[in-house]
Amino acid sequence: MERKTFIQSSVATLTASYLPSIPRLHDGEGETLFVSPPALKLGDVIGITSPAGYIINQEIQSAVKKMESWGYKIKIGETIDKRDFTFGGTDEERAKDFQQMLDDPKIKAIMCARGGYGAVRIIDKLNWEKFKVKPKWIIGFSDVTVFHSHLNRNFGIASIHSKMCNSFPDDWTTAEPVQIETIESIQLALSGIKMKYNAVPNSQNKPGVADGILIGGNLKMLETLSATKSDINTAGKILFVEDTGEYMYNIDRMFWHLKRTGKLSQLKGLIVGGFKIKVDEDADDFGRTLQDVVLEKIKAFRYPVCFDFPVGHQKNNYALKCGVKHRLNVAANEVNLKEV
Amino acid sequence: MIRIPPYLQKGDTIGLVCPAGFMPVERVSECIRVINEDWGFTTKVGSSVGRQYHYFSGTDEERLEDFQLMLDDDNVKAILCARGGYGISRIIDKTDFTRFKENPKWIIGFSDVTVLHSHIYRNYYVSTLHAPMANAFNEDGFKNEYVQSLRHALEGKKIKYQVKKHEFNKKGEGIGELIGGNLALLAHLVGTDSDLKTKGRILFIEDVGEYLYNVDRMLYQLKRSGKLDKLAGLIVGGFTDMKDTERPFGQNVHEIIRDAVAEYDYPVCFDFPVSHEKENYALKIGVGYKLKVGKNKVTLEE
Repeated sequence: MERKTFIQSSVATLTASYLPSIPRLHDGEGETLFVSPPALKLGDVIGITSPAGYIINQEIQSAVKKMESWGYKIKIGETIDKRDFTFGGTDEERAKDFQQMLDDPKIKAIMCARGGYGAVRIIDKLNWEKFKVKPKWIIGFSDVTVFHSHLNRNFGIASIHSKMCNSFPDDWTTAEPVQIETIESIQLALSGIKMKYNAVPNSQNKPGVADGILIGGNLKMLETLSATKSDINTAGKILFVEDTGEYMYNIDRMFWHLKRTGKLSQLKGLIVGGFKIKVDEDADDFGRTLQDVVLEKIKAFRYPVCFDFPVGHQKNNYALKCGVKHRLNVAANEVNLKEV
Repeated sequence: MIRIPPYLQKGDTIGLVCPAGFMPVERVSECIRVINEDWGFTTKVGSSVGRQYHYFSGTDEERLEDFQLMLDDDNVKAILCARGGYGISRIIDKTDFTRFKENPKWIIGFSDVTVLHSHIYRNYYVSTLHAPMANAFNEDGFKNEYVQSLRHALEGKKIKYQVKKHEFNKKGEGIGELIGGNLALLAHLVGTDSDLKTKGRILFIEDVGEYLYNVDRMLYQLKRSGKLDKLAGLIVGGFTDMKDTERPFGQNVHEIIRDAVAEYDYPVCFDFPVSHEKENYALKIGVGYKLKVGKNKVTLEE
């Protein structure tokens, strides 16, 4: 039996005390053991909660119906419909709802209803003991990067970076094919199918092939987690980043941050997703493109780099498994990423 | 002990540079005039002043070369960054501080210059000056007590500021080296070689034009990276032109900061005159200060 398969199939019966004795999947520093939560079966329950911004029940109905049509049951958390200004309830309410989902053995996956801001306000209030013993999928992106990064750093447990409830269209008949396909990709990821993605080649890509654990998320969030206990460990990994609504100077500053914190030097590969760049009001011209900004930071490194990968605050945002080994292949005429 | 660069004597030279954003030369001329005519120092105007490369005051190489020249010129006793903006992060790791280490001189500025303050404090343990820059001299600004405080600091006068009380102040007395600057830059530097050590120090923070949720997020970063729990005191400067999202955050910036440090018992004062506005006293980074937050007034003295 392959090592990884063994680990995955063993997850359900593991307890914390057994962990050191089983074969390890090493990351770059040879420390963390990576495990994937069990794939979902028909009838399994997905919990929906709001760890960050507030959302009303009506806005998640499209997602509820869609996920039910995939054969899953849905449990709607107490934070849906709750509101504390911008948040989906007070810190205590959001932490409590998330904790219940973490601890409820019937819930096999937790879908964050939306991003916004707020996960970092509750992350240190959560107790991960049960989750560590019986991992489940945590799903979302943007502010949810806090969870992906925290799981990556502390537990080596895989999670799903994908669209959330607020991206499910109300009217599927007018939805673009890419919207439907990216949402369906969440179901593929949950069902345990090995994922494969293609990206459109960009002339400034750096070719190469890399194998490594996939990690990443929202660039701004990664910066604000720096030197905290949720700080991402990038050594030996394939890193993906995306962002929205930032000025180019700030994107530049954030890539300097990655570089100056040593997060770019030991990568296996770099995936640059969508960046929605804010135009400077006073027509300050930064004089560099996104590609310039990225490539100048990694001139000294040889790993493959691709731009325009379909991940980000955009319709073209596929479900990616953080904490799972992938192969990135960047060539002149094709770019793909596949789970291995 | 922190090393204090020599204070300036009459006739000493202050170098002016633009290490970050572009600044038209006419916005610097009043600053030059005042330093030469009123303050009795001489100025050396760097090639990056008035130069423009897109957003920046020259390419990285040009800005670096100019700054390096001033650092290495023994006749230059202080370097005044004419403006901030963005750009020091792009040249900091290429800057050679070897001569500076042997012959420290005052480095002056705020905002983006926070990168220099933090980097020098962390790596070379030399005092720098968080103070108004060239633009503050314009429109008669050079007459106000804030620009004057820069002159006094350069002349070696001991600093003592007294400011009004604020309803959220937390009373107490703290003694420690003063560190700080622009919150967004301090957060950006966390985990890098320019990162601040804050334990036992008095920290000051200020910012401009940020979203409230982002201020909250940055404070969480400082907190979660262990930078707020062992301070000798916290000085909250101006947080001006704050922005809010369509869905309001529900707290003003003072409430956000108050709550972020509610669990600690060191003194905290709000609305201290260090900011992107006119109210911006010169503060010597790394120098020992006493912060006294009383019932009716707040004092900060060397």
